[in-house]
Amino acid sequence: MIEIKNAAKYFRVGFFGTKKNAVEDLSLDIEEGKVTGFFGPNGAGKSTTIKMIVGLIKPSGGNIKINGYDASDYRARLKLGYLPENPSFPRGLKGIEIINYYSKLLNKKINKDEIDDTLKLAGIFYAKNIQAHKYSKGMTQRLALAVSILGDPEILIFDEPLSGLDPIGRKEFKDIIFKLKERKKTIFFSSHVLADSKELCDRIAVLVNGRLIKNENLEDMENEAAGYAEERRDYRLPAEYSTPLEIYLYDLMLKSRKN
Amino acid sequence: MKKILYGIMYSFKEIKNSKIFYSFLIFALILVSGSYFVSQTSFINQGRIMVDFSIFAISIFNIFIGIFIGASAVYDDIEKKSIFLSITRPLKRTEYLIGRFLGLAAAIIFSTIIMMLIFYLVLLIMHKFIVPAGSIAKAAGSGVKPAGVSSATFTFYLLPQPLIIQGLFIIIESIFISAAALLFSLITSKALASVFAILVFFIGNVSSRMNDLVRPVKKIINGKVVIVHQANHVLAHIVRFIYTVLPNFSIFNISSEAAYKVNIASDVIFYRIVYGICYTALLFIISSLIFQRKDIG
Repeated sequence: MIEIKNAAKYFRVGFFGTKKNAVEDLSLDIEEGKVTGFFGPNGAGKSTTIKMIVGLIKPSGGNIKINGYDASDYRARLKLGYLPENPSFPRGLKGIEIINYYSKLLNKKINKDEIDDTLKLAGIFYAKNIQAHKYSKGMTQRLALAVSILGDPEILIFDEPLSGLDPIGRKEFKDIIFKLKERKKTIFFSSHVLADSKELCDRIAVLVNGRLIKNENLEDMENEAAGYAEERRDYRLPAEYSTPLEIYLYDLMLKSRKN
Repeated sequence: MKKILYGIMYSFKEIKNSKIFYSFLIFALILVSGSYFVSQTSFINQGRIMVDFSIFAISIFNIFIGIFIGASAVYDDIEKKSIFLSITRPLKRTEYLIGRFLGLAAAIIFSTIIMMLIFYLVLLIMHKFIVPAGSIAKAAGSGVKPAGVSSATFTFYLLPQPLIIQGLFIIIESIFISAAALLFSLITSKALASVFAILVFFIGNVSSRMNDLVRPVKKIINGKVVIVHQANHVLAHIVRFIYTVLPNFSIFNISSEAAYKVNIASDVIFYRIVYGICYTALLFIISSLIFQRKDIG
């Protein structure tokens, strides 16, 4: 479905254009019909990887294929929905006008009922006639979610979908992801909130300093975490994390971090 | 094609709702409406002053719309990340860019038409500079009444040909400069893109006059052509280079002809339109090539 082979991305920074690696030699297969969580600390390269997958930026090395098409090819996005981190919409346009526009960009005809159903699923139907710049952050996030799931795409890529949402918003958003999971959608989402891992994921990938350090099934990861928790029993556990999996992921990121 | 069309409509709606567009439109309308009061400062040629002043206002505010909205149309989309949802749909980047650009062009056409309509109404009220296009009988069967009886006929008045052509040239010039602003906004910041576009516009307006100034002055003395003044060679080459490379915007300014109601020949109109369209297309193709390679993140 999504194959990432030795993908790398560097940016040029500073006056002399010094190379700075954001992602290095990343190989990852995102399995069909599974929810894959992409975890890592801030600045690990999660968003850069996602932007390479959806074709916003081009890899400096390696290649990314979606359903056999190169990620930069528009055909790769025929069955793909993307929810960016902190989405925004132009001023002055109503929610319904925005979603109508995006429905026209799809390669299939979307009728009014489908648009209404999508808005209802995303929980923003009630505000469809309000101008989008008057929306709260949660409402904007919901409208962006509605845009990303419009046309019932097979692959959904969410970049930090739960960041900045209040507890009620987070719960509701997770419920939507559960519904999509029930529909056997391929979901790939990034997060730095470890508590999301066990609840939502079938598979977990961990990225630190642009390098993929883990990519396993939830069960395998939980077994490893249980073993690790046994070994680590005498250490003081961080108060924020309660489950062995969270502690394991936390320590994994901490040890692999360069700084 | 359908996607481009929706892109144009979406872009046009967005620009139409933007504050900067409204501000420029309202300013221009105030100036055009107020051109009558400006013309009252002179005892002679009041009509010409009205036309000059209004054409200047319409032209400059459309140029401003072209520059400032052209520089921000794609740049703001990238900065505010609203582009993320558009180009991650099954849409080619070129299609997106065409939609944005033609939406902006539609907004420029819309604003010019509104401004020209107000200008026409002002001239109609003042009964200056308008030309009768013909008259129709007020009621059926009243054709027997003698022509010129105002109570019996409606006389239609139109803007003279050079004024209509000037309106068309303003549209082409504004779209042209917006293509330059769009191109600059893809390689630099919005503010710098606006500054560069203003510079291109300014140089494009004076380059032909500068080129005339550096040409050698020749005189015929005793039956021979003699160069009596020659500008510095380096300077002459620089000016000629700028004149050749940068667009010549002065060809779109026909306010003198408009003020004296001098009709513009159709071949002149045609070549100037083709010049504007070709240059705009070239700038757009360069923008499109840059945009296709651009990392958006």
